[in-house]
Amino acid sequence: MKCTRYERWLWDELEGRLGTAQAQELRAHLQVCPRCQRQWEAARATHQALRALPRYRAPQQLALQVRARIQETAAPKPEFVWWKRVALAPALGILAAAAWWGWLALNPDSTYSTETATAAHSVENWVEIHEQLEVADWSPTPTPSYFITTGYTQ
Amino acid sequence: MVSDTVSYTGRIIEVDALSAEAQLVERAQAQDETAFEQIMHLYADRLYNYILRMVGNSADAEDLLQEVFLRAYQGLPSFDGRASLSTWLYRIATNLCIDYQRRRARRVQTVPYLAWEDEDGEVGHWESPDTQTPDPMEAALNRELQQVVEHAIRSLSPKLRTVLLLYDVEDLSYEEIARVLNIPMGTVKSRLNHARGQIQKQVEAYLRGESK
Repeated sequence: MKCTRYERWLWDELEGRLGTAQAQELRAHLQVCPRCQRQWEAARATHQALRALPRYRAPQQLALQVRARIQETAAPKPEFVWWKRVALAPALGILAAAAWWGWLALNPDSTYSTETATAAHSVENWVEIHEQLEVADWSPTPTPSYFITTGYTQ
Repeated sequence: MVSDTVSYTGRIIEVDALSAEAQLVERAQAQDETAFEQIMHLYADRLYNYILRMVGNSADAEDLLQEVFLRAYQGLPSFDGRASLSTWLYRIATNLCIDYQRRRARRVQTVPYLAWEDEDGEVGHWESPDTQTPDPMEAALNRELQQVVEHAIRSLSPKLRTVLLLYDVEDLSYEEIARVLNIPMGTVKSRLNHARGQIQKQVEAYLRGESK
C-alpha cells in the first residue's frame, strides 16, 4: 500500500513537481525499498531516454511539395466558354434535323404510312357521321343548315 | 527576485512569440504565401517527428505531413485563433494519424503494432541528441536504451502513444493535449500514467537484463 503512493511520486519527482517534504520522504523510502529503488532507476532512465529521443528533420522539399499540392487542388476546372454555349443550341438543332432526314431516307414508306393513317381516320369519322344520320329521326324537310353542314342531298 | 525576473522575462518572450504567431496567421489568412511558408518552416520538424513516431515509417509520415499543411492552408480562413496554431496543427496531424491507423488496421489485421524502419532505413536526417557524450560505451548504452524506449512506444495503443508523444517528446502541456484530443485533462493524465508505466516496465526489464 505504501509503495503504491511512492510509485506515483516517482514521475512527479522527475519533473520537479514534488514538494520538499515529499521529496525527502521519497528518498528515504527508496533507501530501504529495493523494489521501489529499481522502479526509480527505470523511471529515471525512461524519462531521460524520452527527453533525448533523436529528432529528425522534415524533408527539405516539403514546401515545394505542399505548394504543388495547393496549386493542384486550387486549379480551376476547365471553363465552359461562352461562344461554345451559344453555338451549342444551333449545333443540336442541326444534328436533330440531320437525324430526322436520315431516318426518313432510310424509311421511305414512313411518310405514306402516316398519310394513309390520317386518311383512314377521316373515313372512319365520315362513316360514323353517316351512321348517325341514318338512325336519326328525319323530318320530311330538312333544315337548310343541315344541307350546309353535311352536304346531304336526298 | 531572480526567479521573478526570469519568470517576468519569460512571460514577455512568450507573449511576443504568440503575437508574432498571430500576425503570421493573419498574413497567411490574407493569402500571403511567404507567411504560410514561415508557418511550415516553424512547425515542419516538430510535426514530422510526431507523425513519424505515430505511423512508424518515413514515406507515410512525409505524405501525412504534406496533408497536414494542405489541410491547414485550406482551413486557415476558418481558423479563429481560439486555439493556438500549434494546438490546431497537432490536432490536424493527430486526426490524420488516427485515420491512417484505422485504414492500416483494416488492411493488416495481423500486425499488433506498426512496423518501424530499420536503423539503416532512410528516416530523415539524423540529429544526435547529445553530441557531447564523451564515453563511447555510455553513448552506445544510451543508444540501446533509446531503442528499447522507441520499441516500447511503438507497442503502446494509439491512444496512449498519442498522449505520451505529445507530452514527453513534443513538450505540450496537459491543457494543450486536452484541447488537441478534445478530452478532459484528467483523461490526459491518466493515459500518460498508463503509457509511462508500460514503457517503464520494458525499461526495467532491459535494465535487469531480461530483454534481448
